Amino acid sequence: MKTDFEPQLYESPNMTGRRQTRQSRQPTQPQGIRGPRSALTDYLASNNISAQQIRDDWDRRQAEAQRQSDQAEQESSNAAEESRSPSVLESPEDPVQKRKRQQAIVRIKNSKEFAKRKARFSGDYDDEDDDDLLALQIHEEKNRPKPGQLANCEICDKRFTVTPYSKAGPNGGLLCVDCSKKQKADEKKPPAKKRAPGIGRRQNQANLLDGLTPHGTQSLLETCIKKVADYIHDIEDFGDLPPSLLLRLGQILSRRRAVTSRTLDLFLRPQYTSIDLFDCAKLGTDDYHKIMASMPRLTRVNLRFTTPMKDQIFHYMMERDMEIKDLHLDGPNLVTDACWRQLFMKLGHRFLSLKLWNLDSAFDNETARLMCLHCSNLQRLKLKFLHKIDNEMLEEISTLKSLHHLSLRFLNETEIKTEPLLEIMSSVGAQLETLSLEEFEFADDRLLQHIHEHCRHLTKLRLTLNSTFTDKGLTALFTGWSNPALTYVDLNSLRDVDMTNPAGPEESIGLASDSFVALMAHSGSKIQHLNIASCRHVSYKAFEQVFAEGKMYPNLKYLDISFSTVVDDYLAQCIFRCCPALQRLVVFACFKIRDVYIPRGLALIGTVGATIKIDGITQTETI
Amino acid sequence: MVESTQSEFVTIVSNDGFEFIIPRSAACVSGALRRSLDPSSKFPEGISGRCELGEFSGVVVEKICEYFCYNEKHKDQVNVPDMDIPPELCLELLMAADFLDT
Repeated sequence: MKTDFEPQLYESPNMTGRRQTRQSRQPTQPQGIRGPRSALTDYLASNNISAQQIRDDWDRRQAEAQRQSDQAEQESSNAAEESRSPSVLESPEDPVQKRKRQQAIVRIKNSKEFAKRKARFSGDYDDEDDDDLLALQIHEEKNRPKPGQLANCEICDKRFTVTPYSKAGPNGGLLCVDCSKKQKADEKKPPAKKRAPGIGRRQNQANLLDGLTPHGTQSLLETCIKKVADYIHDIEDFGDLPPSLLLRLGQILSRRRAVTSRTLDLFLRPQYTSIDLFDCAKLGTDDYHKIMASMPRLTRVNLRFTTPMKDQIFHYMMERDMEIKDLHLDGPNLVTDACWRQLFMKLGHRFLSLKLWNLDSAFDNETARLMCLHCSNLQRLKLKFLHKIDNEMLEEISTLKSLHHLSLRFLNETEIKTEPLLEIMSSVGAQLETLSLEEFEFADDRLLQHIHEHCRHLTKLRLTLNSTFTDKGLTALFTGWSNPALTYVDLNSLRDVDMTNPAGPEESIGLASDSFVALMAHSGSKIQHLNIASCRHVSYKAFEQVFAEGKMYPNLKYLDISFSTVVDDYLAQCIFRCCPALQRLVVFACFKIRDVYIPRGLALIGTVGATIKIDGITQTETI
Repeated sequence: MVESTQSEFVTIVSNDGFEFIIPRSAACVSGALRRSLDPSSKFPEGISGRCELGEFSGVVVEKICEYFCYNEKHKDQVNVPDMDIPPELCLELLMAADFLDT
């Protein structure tokens, strides 16, 4: 530290010292007679600065420093004999300076930069001493000569010009170019920051949601498909990939939003009868023509995000009288009502399945009526988020006599009455295999009654987002139902919604304890997929009863119990015991799951900060 | 050769005559190989422990065997990175993976 300002001190007393000889004589000289005096001496005298005093001060400081360093040397040698001093500051210096430096170090320790550096090195430095060392380092760095100044190299003592790239030496000083080169060669890279033993929550959850269990390698097939997708732009032709792989590739490319006019060509196979593309947003109108023209044998058209699809495409289909049986389109909003009607009239009789999503500017009740009239062979119908249809079209659905699969979801502002649904149940309920009615908020227990009475062949049932069904109604549905056990059940969000009364009314609304027990008693033997997310009124007791020892759900692969806040570690273990085939358990907002042992091959999705053990491998989630 | 029904290793042969000898357990990662190498299946492969993949060249079969061993090595580990596959091989390998049910 001394070295920093010593050179300046050196020069000033010397200079003043030379003059001082004259000045000191001053008082002894008789008044009036003066030797030659410089303007500076005059000036200093007039300002009451005595060169003599400056010199004396300097001599005194020198002597003091000498004495202190002798003392310190003695002390430090003594200290070294007894024990090494914990302080890193071993060099001698006067107390004022030392205090100043200590203050600077304290300041640095509170500074942002210190915190940042500490974080960077965390793991390596964590005790007090290391903090001191780090602070000292920063302090020294701040006191280093600025770029452009001259400094002496710490190792070879050569004088050199400091640049922003000058390296620091082992003791904090700067090094000349040659020495820094040598130093660099010696210096090994600091060990990379070790990752905490936990797992990154985000990546982990993303993988789980993709269905990857966290251990073992991925299948070669999946790895290859990903690789192919990575290099899709270099691929000229897929060769003869089987349709199943083509479908999977289409899914991955769609997810990466990589389906463009160019990649589309890879999927166009004249001999294939189906095309599935889940993201067509980047295709132009011409591309749709290309699909239709190059695959004349298409019977199944499954295209999503089809915004640029226009009337011409439908006209083309009608002109060629294409044998399309399955038409699944998401968002073809540029197609007009007139065109839809024509399509149903011309090709409707061939349609076996029709799935439409997200139509807001066309497809009104009249079009829907014509659809039901002309597509009399329709076995599968799915209509979701069609803005212009309501109760009126529901009544028409009951005329579709061969319907086996029905899936409906209206906009939530469309008020749907229960009566048309009852009519559908009584007319086609008996043959329905799957039934999905989402967000029919005001449908009441009469609908459940009708399902109970009419449905005999259901395998999949989805009734969601309703706060009118009662626990009693649902219990009655599953008790003594002549329908065989269901395989796919989604009853999420059947619950009472009343902010002021979170526990719900006395008479439970939605899927609560009794109906959950009844459901599992009815379908437990066959059930594969169960979603009861947000059914908040299912009690701890009901869970305990359903997943009691001795109960077994051999086929259950997917279970979603999100927002069932009563579920804890014990219940989770009970679930694993009762469901040997379980592959995914979704537990968003089940905060009582803290520490679980999960079987191999199971993906537990939605835990927060839980400790998860798989076959002896323990993982703690970092949040 | 008859003894090899119980042997710990099996031989995989490519269409251009390269032979790869790998642990039986590793080869059984592939559904197709597991079924054909099963001694009780009475397939010739099951009896001789020698499996000819007549449709794939040595380069592809080598990569497949590499995957078998990679999979075997990492089967008890968490967060295993994907095996590196040279882009020029990925389509062929994709077909092979589909065929072998891996």
